[in-house]
Amino acid sequence: MELDQLELNATVEDSEKTKPYYTALIGWSVQAIEAAAKMNRPFIVVGPPDFESYAEKHEIPFVGWDFNKINESSDHLYMQLKEMGAEVAVPLYEECVEWAGALNARFREDPRVFNRSLLLRDKGMMKRKAQISGIKVGVFEEARSKDDVERFLKRVNEALLKLDGDHLDPIHVKPLDKAGSVGHLAINTAEGIEQIQDTDFPLLMESHLDGQEFSCEAFVHKGKVRFLNITEYIRLGYSNFVPASPLLEEKRPLIERAVQQLVDAFEIEYGVIHPEYFLTPDGTLHFGEVAARVPGGHIFELIERAYGFSAYEAQILCSDPNTTEEELEEFFPDPYQYEAYAGCLMVHPNTDYVKDLEIPEELEHHAYFEKHDMFTPPQGKVAERVGFGNHYGTIFFYGKDSEEMTNLLKRYEEHDFYI
Amino acid sequence: MPQPTGVIIERFSQALAALEEAPPFAKSRYQTDVYQEANRLIETENGLEHLYGYADRFEQTGVFQDGPWEEANKLQPPLVAGSLKAKGLPMIIEILSELRMLAVAKERYVNPAVTPQMAEEFLNEVMVLNLNLLFPDASESARIEKHENDEKASELFQFLANHLSSDALIQTLIDEIKRLTAQRPIMIKRTVSMIRMAKEMLEKEHAENDQSELIRFIAAIEGPSEISNRYKDVHAYRAQLKGLSRSELISESVSFAKSMRSTGLVAPHHATLIRYLSKRMPQLLPHALDLSSKGVANLEENNELVIQLIRASVFPATRQAIYGLALMLERGVLSHSPVPPGLRRLIELDIRPDVRNALAQTTSVGEGLTANNILVAATIQVLGQPLGIGQGFNPTCQAARGISLWAQHAPGFLLEIIPRAARDGDIDFMFEGQAIHSKDLSGGLAPELHKELDPISLILVPHLDRIYSEMMSRVALRGDDGHRWVNPAFYGNWVQKGFANIIDPLTGYVQDYPGFVRLFYATHHTEYNDDYEMIYPNPVGIFITNVHGKLLGLHAVSITRIGVDPEGKDRIYFYNPNNDGSQNWGQNIEPSVAGNGEEEGESSLPFHEFASRLYAFHYNPYEQGEAYAVDDSIVQNVQQLAKESWGKDYTWV
Repeated sequence: MELDQLELNATVEDSEKTKPYYTALIGWSVQAIEAAAKMNRPFIVVGPPDFESYAEKHEIPFVGWDFNKINESSDHLYMQLKEMGAEVAVPLYEECVEWAGALNARFREDPRVFNRSLLLRDKGMMKRKAQISGIKVGVFEEARSKDDVERFLKRVNEALLKLDGDHLDPIHVKPLDKAGSVGHLAINTAEGIEQIQDTDFPLLMESHLDGQEFSCEAFVHKGKVRFLNITEYIRLGYSNFVPASPLLEEKRPLIERAVQQLVDAFEIEYGVIHPEYFLTPDGTLHFGEVAARVPGGHIFELIERAYGFSAYEAQILCSDPNTTEEELEEFFPDPYQYEAYAGCLMVHPNTDYVKDLEIPEELEHHAYFEKHDMFTPPQGKVAERVGFGNHYGTIFFYGKDSEEMTNLLKRYEEHDFYI
Repeated sequence: MPQPTGVIIERFSQALAALEEAPPFAKSRYQTDVYQEANRLIETENGLEHLYGYADRFEQTGVFQDGPWEEANKLQPPLVAGSLKAKGLPMIIEILSELRMLAVAKERYVNPAVTPQMAEEFLNEVMVLNLNLLFPDASESARIEKHENDEKASELFQFLANHLSSDALIQTLIDEIKRLTAQRPIMIKRTVSMIRMAKEMLEKEHAENDQSELIRFIAAIEGPSEISNRYKDVHAYRAQLKGLSRSELISESVSFAKSMRSTGLVAPHHATLIRYLSKRMPQLLPHALDLSSKGVANLEENNELVIQLIRASVFPATRQAIYGLALMLERGVLSHSPVPPGLRRLIELDIRPDVRNALAQTTSVGEGLTANNILVAATIQVLGQPLGIGQGFNPTCQAARGISLWAQHAPGFLLEIIPRAARDGDIDFMFEGQAIHSKDLSGGLAPELHKELDPISLILVPHLDRIYSEMMSRVALRGDDGHRWVNPAFYGNWVQKGFANIIDPLTGYVQDYPGFVRLFYATHHTEYNDDYEMIYPNPVGIFITNVHGKLLGLHAVSITRIGVDPEGKDRIYFYNPNNDGSQNWGQNIEPSVAGNGEEEGESSLPFHEFASRLYAFHYNPYEQGEAYAVDDSIVQNVQQLAKESWGKDYTWV
């Protein structure tokens, strides 16, 4: 869509509730577009050019942008959006975070917004910043080659006083700027080191942290956490539910303090952050990492099911400095007020070759079962899993007992739906 | 405990409501739930009925939005079966789409692009194309290739049939039967099963309108004469024959022959009668075959051989050979000197075990036929109905075209290669001075031949296919279309040496299209070609396009005649080995199989429409007419048709 056309098409009502500026959604997410439309906010989608024809067909104001290409004309995006009347940028995917940061830095005329967003895109910088701020992290280092990894593995295990022939403690490696679990490996042997792809360098290496891993979704406005959701992981990348079980929720005050500390340290003002922590048996929190985008694992959907508000709307609301205290007050519920637990299981075939889909009857008839989105697949080879991305389907549950939820998720994680 | 249907209906209703409320760009997020709940509902009893209750809302809520089923007016009946057989999502959406069509047909919902009549025609067509699903256990092949979804699909068709007028369905069925029989295929299995279906429906539904046409077809396969109608069982019928007078036998003969000639279908009793006559009253055979004077002359000339052939090949199970025999005599094939000894050789041929097996499988068990009986019967059919040869479900149009050409013009050659394949398991062709033996080759276009073929094709195609492929690969690197050399070598000297092709084999571009069109007119169109008559079929290459004119692929047909139709228009008559000579090619180009001067087995198109699909043809370089004289507007017209259809997939230079 051309600029001049856009202005003609823009019908912005100057009613009290509608603010006369555009929100730029950075990344293509139908859910986010739906949320923006529902909020009656004028919006522009900045997304990969592939979506242009779809956007055109459905009259979605759209700017095509390749987020992986950084060039001199990047400024052009800002100019274009400014021209259109955008004043807020909301990042939806990992790759979009620094773009939204750069845009918001210009919109708010505060260059450091961009630097802060970079903090969230470089796992090494992130760890260092956390450490400086007195947040408990594991031992970490950045690696540029396999030699670095070998040295780090050796030194960590020396520090753990391992003898020759002992099983080594694993270290974790993650590419510095990839989303979620993409490229994440746990390594405790020389063969393990060989598995690392050359393209994954530079990467962050980190000592292994024991304990229960969970994530938080914190909606931040004016540097304050306005709503904190705790997501309990049953198995990372496979199953999780919202809110966390009573045992973990018990620690909510501790977690809330930790997240606020993180927000302060990272000087995060607006938007949503998605940090991951490890809770050790003695009750200490170790910081894992943090992202400033829509979390994976259908967590936003689970939040909506459990708490009854749209997390996408919440993200847009919190990303906008103009949102008032009253609006926020009205929007977010009390985190202790929920009816039941919403969980989901991401299904991935356990075989290399898929012939058929088999959904057990007792699953469909379980009181907690809500829905799933799996269809009998065309026969074929199963794609290799990248990160925890392309799962074949998701099963959604909803029920009052967190233990039953945990059991269900564990039980069906073992099940072979695809045969 | 299974959920009660009420709960599932409620869930579906909610999913549909959520989809309805979703903004247009977000429909895909809600479609999944609708498909899931629809699938659950399909599984329940009366599920289709419940789903149908919502069918008038499917389109507006966005059930089909942004997917292949979105535009109802662009859907194609032949594709329905494939979706229904695919497991999972395609099957679910296909069922929803049919219910949508039914809602349009029943005027419960108005689709601006599809009238109720169009919707009903669509559904009728779908059902006619899937009779095996509408009436399960109909055909042997359906049983072998049973799909897990067949039950759901046949449930859907039963449901549709119950809601649609059976009159219209029977009429569609009759039209389809007429369309098929007009082409006089050798393989009549599909026609017969359609007739049986229609009969079954007629008995169940008591349709109102005139069904005389259908009754004629039913009689053709079940007994068209007075006595065969009374004694359906062939044994009982045979017993009756002995008591008949000469005039009664003549009347029987005439009834059978008339029915056979008008439908191309033969009743089993007809075989009984022919066998009886050949022993007791051979002089009545011309009546039983409805022969013209030419046919009678050919019969008299070869009386002894014909009787021998009847004994060796005409049985109730091979009854269609009677039709082949009648046409073979009409064509005077037995007057070719190599033919009588060639046929006699087949009667006692020592057939290889694998071929013996393949032949045995073409008839039902327990008929008591030998492989030689079947081989002779099948040869008679091919010689009698050269245009009735089909490629079946195989990509072997070239081989089918070859058998058809030899059956017409080189029966002696055909009778050479049949025993070579059946007895020796090898066929050899000379190509540019070197012999190519099929037994030394592997691969070909159809390494796994689909067996629904006439017995002669079944024996020959595997050899011919490999030889053709071998010839093509030998010339692959010559920088020109290999058909230039392969066609004359493969089909024989009946193919002209001049060759024109519009695709540059090196670049893949379309080059000098106007020149190509002019040359075709100058060598083929009676107005420009100096009145040279076409003598042998011309094997040409055409682009096959679908109903929207989109390119589907390349295909081989043979031009059989160029002529003027009853309305005075120039037409090209051609043989299409794909068993379906009247597919819709888009741009209103729809080959006809009857009514425009076609002979049995021919398809035809107006000259320029055929020209617009042509990409390669042979011509006699010494018989070129006036290429320059062809009017520019004619060339323009053909070029436009070409550019707007298959031409979209090519670069034009």
